[in-house]
Parts: sequence; C-alpha cells; structure tokens
Amino acid sequence: MSKDKIRWIIFAGLFLFVTLAYTIDIKMVSSPSYEVQKSFDYIESLPEGTILMVSFDHEASSLPEVQPISLVMIRHAFRNNLRIVGLSLFAEGTAIGYRTLNKIAAEYDKIYGVDYVFLGFKPQHIAAILGMGESIYDVFPHDYLGNLTDTIPIMIGIENYDNIEMVISITDGDRAVQWIEYAGPRYDQKVMTGLTAAMITSYDPYLSSGQLFSVVGGLKGAAEYENLYGVPGKGNRGMPAQTAAHLYLIVMIIIGNIIYFRNRKRQGRSS
Amino acid sequence: MDIGVIIAGILTLAIYTFLYKDNPIYRAAESLLIGLAMGYVLVIYWQTAFMDRIFSPLLNESDWWVLIPLILGLLMFSRFSRKYSWLSRIPIALMIGAGAGVAIPAMLYARTLKQISASVMPLITESGGFNFEALVVIVGLLSTLTYFYFSREHKGIIGKVAKLGTYFLMLFFGATFGYTVMSRMSTFIGRIDFLLSDFLHIIK
Amino acid sequence: MPTRLPLLICLVSGVVMFLQYFSRHPVAKLIYQTVTNDWWQVIFAFTLIVGVASFIKITLRKISQKKDKTYSLIALGGLILMPVLALIGGTNIESPFQWAFENLLAPMQATVFSLLAFFVASASFRGFRARSIPAAILLGTALLVLIGRLPIAEHISESIPDLTFWIKNYPSMAARRAILIGIGLGSMTTALRVILGIERTYLSGK
Repeated sequence: MSKDKIRWIIFAGLFLFVTLAYTIDIKMVSSPSYEVQKSFDYIESLPEGTILMVSFDHEASSLPEVQPISLVMIRHAFRNNLRIVGLSLFAEGTAIGYRTLNKIAAEYDKIYGVDYVFLGFKPQHIAAILGMGESIYDVFPHDYLGNLTDTIPIMIGIENYDNIEMVISITDGDRAVQWIEYAGPRYDQKVMTGLTAAMITSYDPYLSSGQLFSVVGGLKGAAEYENLYGVPGKGNRGMPAQTAAHLYLIVMIIIGNIIYFRNRKRQGRSS
Repeated sequence: MDIGVIIAGILTLAIYTFLYKDNPIYRAAESLLIGLAMGYVLVIYWQTAFMDRIFSPLLNESDWWVLIPLILGLLMFSRFSRKYSWLSRIPIALMIGAGAGVAIPAMLYARTLKQISASVMPLITESGGFNFEALVVIVGLLSTLTYFYFSREHKGIIGKVAKLGTYFLMLFFGATFGYTVMSRMSTFIGRIDFLLSDFLHIIK
Repeated sequence: MPTRLPLLICLVSGVVMFLQYFSRHPVAKLIYQTVTNDWWQVIFAFTLIVGVASFIKITLRKISQKKDKTYSLIALGGLILMPVLALIGGTNIESPFQWAFENLLAPMQATVFSLLAFFVASASFRGFRARSIPAAILLGTALLVLIGRLPIAEHISESIPDLTFWIKNYPSMAARRAILIGIGLGSMTTALRVILGIERTYLSGK
C-alpha cells in the first residue's frame, strides 16, 4: 500500500472515530487532579468583592481548548461575587476576552464597570506586565470601550498589583511564564494559569518551586473544574471524543510497533 | 442560519481539504488567513500603540515627549533603504539593550536561583522517613545538566551520568508528547463541535 | 557611526534598565516606566508595521511577476479588508471588523491548528518506535500519559493516574528544570554579551 493511502486511512479513521464519539453524550466523571482542586478551592475561599485579573493570553487557534477553562473559571468567580479585571496580552485575545466576560456576566447579572471591566490589549507583553506593577492607569489609560480607567468604579483605587489578589493567565504559550518571571519576583504577584495541555510540562518547574500557584490544563482540566463547579460544560462534552482520540492513537502506536518488530525479525532472519 | 456560521463552516472544510493533499482550495483559504491575520494585527496595533501612545497624548495633551518613540519607530523604515538602513539599528539597539537589562535580574532570580533552591529538598523527613521524590529530583536535575555539559567528553563517570540524564529527558519528552497529543486532539474536537452543532445542526 | 552608535545606545539602555531594578527612587521609576511603557511598546509596534510593509512589498512583486498571482491577490485582499472594515465600522464588538475576526479568521486559525491532530496520528504510526532503551522510555511514558489522563484511567486502576502524575511531577519536572536552568544561564550570558557589545548579531553581523 502506498504511503499516501496509509496516511489517508489513518486520517479518515481519526475523523470518523472522533466524530462518532462526539455524538455520544455521556458524562465521564473522574477525580479532579491536585492542581485543579487547588485552583477551585482557592477561588472558593476568596471573600466577596476580591479582585482577580484575568488575562486572555492566547490566539484564536487554541480557543477550542482554552475557552472551556476560561468559561468555567470566570463563572465560578462571578458566582462567588468576585470582581474581574480582564485584559489581553495577545492581539487576538482582545475580542475573545471581551465577549467571554460579557457573556458570563450576563448570566450572573453582573454590571460592566462595577463587577468587571475589560481593559483591552497592549503590545509588548513584558513591558505591559512590568508597567502595570507601577501603574495600571498608565499602561491602560482607557478600557476597551474607551472609558478613562481611573474613573471606572471597579478600577478606583486599583493602581497596581497591590490591589490584585491573583493573576489568572489563560494561555496557549509562554505568556504565563512572563507573568511568573516579571510580575512574580518584582511585585510579589500571585499567578495561576489555565493553559493548553501541550504546555503543561513546561510549567511543572514553576509549580514545584511555588512560583506558580496552580494550573488548570487542557480540556480534561476544564472538565474536572466543571465537575467541581457542578455544571458540566464544553470540557465534559468533549471527554468521550478525547477518550476515543487517545485510544485511537494508542492503537496506531501499537500497530506501528508490531509492524516494525515483525519486519525487524524478518530482516534478521533473512540476513 | 447565520451567514457568518455558513462562511466559517465552508472555510473550515476548505482547510480540511489539505488532509487529502495540497490543493487550490486550501491554498486560497491559507492565503486569505495570512492576509486577514496581518490585517487584524495591524488594526489592533494601530489602535493600541499609535492612537493610545502617540496621537492621543500628542494631540490631546500636547505631550511632546512622545515624539522620541515616534522618531525612533520611524527609523525602522530606513531598513528599506540601502544607504540609511543602519539607522534602524538605533531603535533595535534600544529595545534589545533595555530588554537585556530587564531580563538579567528576572532570569537570575526567577529562572535560575529559584529553580536551584527548589531542587534542594531534605532527603530525610521530620518523621524520619526517606524522601524518595527529593532524591529523584536532584539526581534527575544533575544528570540532565551533565548531559548538557559539553566542555568535557562524555566518557567514564560523566558518560554514565549523562546517559542517565538522557533517560530523564526521555521521560520529559514522552510526557510532553502525551500532553501535546491531548492538546491537538482537543483542538480538533473543538472544530468537530463547531461542524456538528453550529454548522450542520446534527447535535445540540 | 553605523556600528558604534547602536552599540553605545544598547550599552546605556541595558545598564540603565539593569540598575533601575535596584532602585525605588521616583526618577528610576520614571525612566523605567517611560522606556518600558511608552518607548518599548511604540517601537515594537513599528517593527510589526515594517514587517507588514515588507510582506506587501514581496506580495506586490509576486503579483507583478505573475508568480502565485491569485493567492497573492487573496492574501493582499485579506490584508486590506481588515483595515477597511475597521475604517468603515470601527472595531467595537458588534462591528464588521470583529465579525470578520470571529467568522473568517478565528475558525480558519483553529482549523489549521487542528490539522496537527492528524499529523500527530500519522507520525505516531510511522515513526514512534521502541528502537532503543531511550526510545522505549519515551514511548512508554507517552502511552502512560495518553491513558493516565483519560477519565476512564482511574476506573481501570487508580495507580495509572497516580503514576502519570508522579512521572510528570518528579523525573519529568527535574529534566525540564535542568533545561530551564540552562536557558536561564544562557539568557543571562547572552544578555550580558549584548549589553557589552560582544554579541552583535542584531547589527547584521557588524
């Protein structure tokens, strides 16, 4: 069989297998990981009115994976009457962040400017992270809607990180690393992250050293958080398909290795 | 149905045609994506950097200091001239120099010292038990660092420790591969969700 | 002049930004704020504009040479479309600009990214072999993570997710930490070399 044909068969198999699995709407419950439980417990423990900074540091490409995380974490924060200062350090995160915040705020009758605000995007993320340590008003003179930042009710008195309980960076890359390395040591800012599964192992040293408070990683992390929150969402919805995809890949790896070892044995015999 | 969803669905399928082979439909969609991405970023940067940082302070507050970054920024365009292209090095030098200056303390503290100190954990716990994990971390760290130490040939004891380092690295790469697969599959599931629920209305 | 002036600027800006870390004086704060917040962001934005200008230049050249003309025109059309939409309807959340982002750009980007799922599957079948001990460790760990992070894993055996997390949190983390420390030391050395003018690649090798 030609290489192209083998490839097409693998592609078609994955497409069909995952698509079929996605049509099955069953709840697959699993225990939350230590990190997800820690994130949930922390948000749960915060007193009403506490200010969280949620930074939408991702591109549209990773939206299917990180949006379930941001949705459930923001829902949790709003349910507990925490206040949110949203922003983005990725140009593409701007509209995503504003829409996500607005959507969830409407579910909980939260008022823009009082319970939450979206500051928008600033280029050169390191400069923005460092700048906000001195003055958020200087980095973001206006919010996303053009209001003067220092006159927005929620922002009055929120001059820098001193008034922010936690930065939650929703990221698909190393933006949270910059939050950890620049806002952490210099301004003693606590950082949590919701990120794509692919980046999880890159953040392990920061978790272990305590520089990063906790992680909610990938669609599985979102599903675990949703279970703790008590309302299943996109994370849980994707779990049957995620399981199917993993099993498919495991089978592919095993078949590939069986063929390899069989060929090696044959070659050994013939030589 | 929403016209936006129809277009998004068609474009999604156009990109997926690449799975068969490279074809004009995919290339057209890819070219459109490149153009739109650049256009989007251009507009956002225009607003956030130029309007907010230059024109607004200059016109509304008569803040003449903003002319400095404006001039420095304009010097970047000298790259298009053979004779004056060296002028673009001035803003680049400022950015690189300032970036390097800011990075040294961050790299030293957050990435190096903190990581080293977090690796030094007591091997014997308060209750007198043996902390096996602490041993794994320190052995893993030192052996992997030895693997990346190229000033000496990897022979003898150094060779053996470096080899142990490769095993730790393989554990890291294996775990990363597993998580990366998880990630890519999640993205694909997201697109399937869009196609089945929003575009085709097959599932709710 | 073409070399010495940039080197001097690099040295001064590097030293000033390094030293301000150790000072809480208002002047130090002001310098720091001005450079990071105002100058840095604006220059960075200009570098992006130069990139876009360069892209337009290359695309126009391609069109005039009739090389991939149709695709170049589509790319250029997309590039022009976004600013035009922004000019017509602004950039607020209900504007045509955001509509184009949400219905054209975002779905295509996510789809391109999702193609990787297929290539990973194909590559796993073709190239992921237990050829040697390190390769077997790599393969075994990957398989363990693939199973261990599934919701069904704990129903098969509780020790599967436990082992997955143990590997991730200790041996895998130790290796990643070593890489991180290496990068940290390397970045610091490079930063020092840049400030002192030893590393000059940003001057195009001068």
